[in-house]
Amino acid sequence: MDLKTSRTPRAARLQALLRRGPLPEGAFRSPLHEPRTAVVIGRWLGAALLICFATGLFSHVLQDPPSWLRDHLPSRPVDGYRVTQGLHVISGIAAVPLLGAKLWTVYPRLFEWPPVRGVRHALERVGIAVLVAALLLELFTGLLNTLQWYPWPFPFRQTHFWLGWLATGGLLVHVAAKAPLIAEHWRRVRPALVERRGFLTAVAVSVGAVTLTTAGQTVPGLRRLDLFAPRRPDLGPLGLPINRTAAQAGTTTAPADWQLVVDGPRAYRLTLADLRAMAQVTVRLPIACVEGWSADAHWTGVRVRDLLDRAGAPPGARVRVTSFEADGPYAVSELPADHARDPLTLLALRVNGEELTADHGFPARIIAPNRPGVLQTKWVARLEVL
Amino acid sequence: MRAGTVLRAATALGGAALIGYGLYGLLHDHYITDPLDVLGWAAGGLVLHDGIWLPLVCLATVLFARLVAPRVGTLARSVLTVLAVTALALTAVALPAALRAGTPRVNATVLPLPYLRNYLLALAALAGLAVATAGWAVLARRRAGRR
Repeated sequence: MDLKTSRTPRAARLQALLRRGPLPEGAFRSPLHEPRTAVVIGRWLGAALLICFATGLFSHVLQDPPSWLRDHLPSRPVDGYRVTQGLHVISGIAAVPLLGAKLWTVYPRLFEWPPVRGVRHALERVGIAVLVAALLLELFTGLLNTLQWYPWPFPFRQTHFWLGWLATGGLLVHVAAKAPLIAEHWRRVRPALVERRGFLTAVAVSVGAVTLTTAGQTVPGLRRLDLFAPRRPDLGPLGLPINRTAAQAGTTTAPADWQLVVDGPRAYRLTLADLRAMAQVTVRLPIACVEGWSADAHWTGVRVRDLLDRAGAPPGARVRVTSFEADGPYAVSELPADHARDPLTLLALRVNGEELTADHGFPARIIAPNRPGVLQTKWVARLEVL
Repeated sequence: MRAGTVLRAATALGGAALIGYGLYGLLHDHYITDPLDVLGWAAGGLVLHDGIWLPLVCLATVLFARLVAPRVGTLARSVLTVLAVTALALTAVALPAALRAGTPRVNATVLPLPYLRNYLLALAALAGLAVATAGWAVLARRRAGRR
């Protein structure tokens, strides 16, 4: 509109503002706010997020298996869950600098003008808002969960799970919307932009730095570089960290008349002395926590398989394990049939050569291969053949 | 071309379906008693990141471009960028641990390391490298100018 037709200078300024947007052309000086940089970082970030989503789903299924799947969960490979959940947290931490760099690169797009050019464009922008909001909250809650720090009012696990679907869906919509731009800038163009090379190197180095200084909580060879991980696999009583202490669970002293109850076709009870008198087996198995740390230990105890045979359990039976802790979401767990029958699965009485401490689950705990640590029930009171 | 269009539409639809499933889950999960809490935190994160954090980063890049970049060469600029981005990334990951480690805890095996010390040492190392790089670059420039 012509300035002359405006009623006041103020209205004219407003009209000019509406025409070109709040920020003048060239407000963002860096040459790196461009598609090729966004595509390269976006590929790295996309890969990290897809690893997070796939490993997160796997962990969720192991913790809450749907009924059609619960009889098909394999107990091998022994280190399966340790690797997938280690990757989940490693790629999540790597995604922190990647997301930061990606959002900085595309920041000027937030101020594109006009803000909406039609229905499709509006949907795309809403999709980006969902994606970014879900990702920021996902990485924030995930990182703080590894510290066992919960300053928000909602439950972590469920929210983290559902936000994962929102973030991954948002990612797919975003990739579809930007497909032509991504395709156009997929390949390197010569001559390369010097600043871009420097920036991409910086992002790669920062990803390496956060990975190397935290991954030692699960990758044995990186322990010496572990500066910032919330756990060290060798730090804790009997050389092993603890997820939930006996004080937290209210199990610092076991009941004086503690007996293991095994329920099945031929139910029976065992005292601790009875258990100690049975054939003892020592296995090397990791505790692999949902929070991304894992630690190997030598566990000694009675094979769960032997206990089940004595109760007359059928071969394909699952086993419900109940702790004597008063409450808590993991006071009861279920051993899938494959795990219950695995010769490595123990009702452990000792760890690393010593009797279990209260924090490690005295008098007896479950330890099984390829399983989230929270399901390795401590302070066991009862095994029930299902 | 046509296959590409189909793939693109399928990706968009699949993404929308995942978003729909996630929203449905957030709204119907009986552990999540107030989904508005989640919305509030998600929107808050977006506002903090895009409204406060990124403007600060942009301000820092402008200062860098005005004050430092003209005085040093391309290589030094790249090295300084690497050091700055690494410092930010380490801060994002280490600062929460350092803050949390300062509060009383019931479980001594969570956060057993001296996080604040490690964080400050890492920052000091990066800052030392940055000062050395900048100093070397400025000196090299002057020497080249004298010749």
